[in-house]
Amino acid sequence: MTLDYDAELMLRVKDGDGASFGVLLEKHRTAVVHFLYRMVQNHAVAEELAQEVFLRVYRSRESYEASARFTTWLFRIATHLALNALRDGKNEKFQERLDSESPDMPARQVSDARPTVEQRMVYQVRLDEVRRAVATLPEKQRAAVLMHKYQEMEYSQIAKVLSCSESAVKSLLFRAYETLRARLAHMA
Amino acid sequence: MNCPMEARHGSELLLDYTAGRLEAGEAMALEAHLESCARCRQFAQSQKAVWQALEAWEAEPVSMDFDRRLFARIEQAPVSWWERLTGQAMHHAVPVAAAAGVMILAGLMLEHPAATPVAPPRESAQVETLGPEQVQSALDDMQMLRDFNHLVRADSAEPRM
Repeated sequence: MTLDYDAELMLRVKDGDGASFGVLLEKHRTAVVHFLYRMVQNHAVAEELAQEVFLRVYRSRESYEASARFTTWLFRIATHLALNALRDGKNEKFQERLDSESPDMPARQVSDARPTVEQRMVYQVRLDEVRRAVATLPEKQRAAVLMHKYQEMEYSQIAKVLSCSESAVKSLLFRAYETLRARLAHMA
Repeated sequence: MNCPMEARHGSELLLDYTAGRLEAGEAMALEAHLESCARCRQFAQSQKAVWQALEAWEAEPVSMDFDRRLFARIEQAPVSWWERLTGQAMHHAVPVAAAAGVMILAGLMLEHPAATPVAPPRESAQVETLGPEQVQSALDDMQMLRDFNHLVRADSAEPRM
């Protein structure tokens, strides 16, 4: 079996190479935080969960087996924690208002470097609509869509992350996108 | 080309098309079909709108001190979950052993008052107190690793196409 580079790095971490853990963190930190943020829709909770993900990766280094892609394992941990957090209602304790900016966080990124007030308002309204639409999806559908759209994962990898069959993933995605089309298609 | 909407996995083809994951040849064939099929065209247009709406959702940048906080947590808890589990078992055993050691030491000192004092067992200073949440977290980790390895082995056992 050919190991992916991340799996090789993780095996080095297993052998005590802390620098390789730093490389993995640098490479996947943003993707994990953003995935968790879109899952729980709260930046503080997402970062807290992402910390837990990397902590678990580090703590599990001695039992790590490079039997699959590293990112499959990484997102499996992230999804597990996100689903638990959603079921515990953890994000509701810190629920960000959809129309507010967190005071201690950087401003949300907008495509235009110098948007007018009107453009910002339009962008904010559209953003809120997207966030609400994604939030209405059942948890597994939401995870599947986020991995498909933002992580650009194949159906087979999403299936491994969610511990289900490829056909189940296709079904999850089909239903999720059906819901999203009903809510967001007018935004074209 | 047959209408994808009438095929069993037709919507999958349209989803892959809007996601830009079709081979050039497949995409061209589908585009030719879209020109003549209003149903597929409607599906593709609304799916593209969803795709673009999701693309506009940019997440906030990660906090500057994310790594520092993470490494601080790693420093605070350098032991592995296996060590923590075994540590939990030792948690109850060590105080009993320490008490027995003190009793034996006291007995020895009474019997041999001139002997050099013996240092107490070093382990007693290293005992880590674990909360039920930490143990549950470790058990979760173990279960997840077991599930994951089982899943991967089952996948790799399947014959390749």
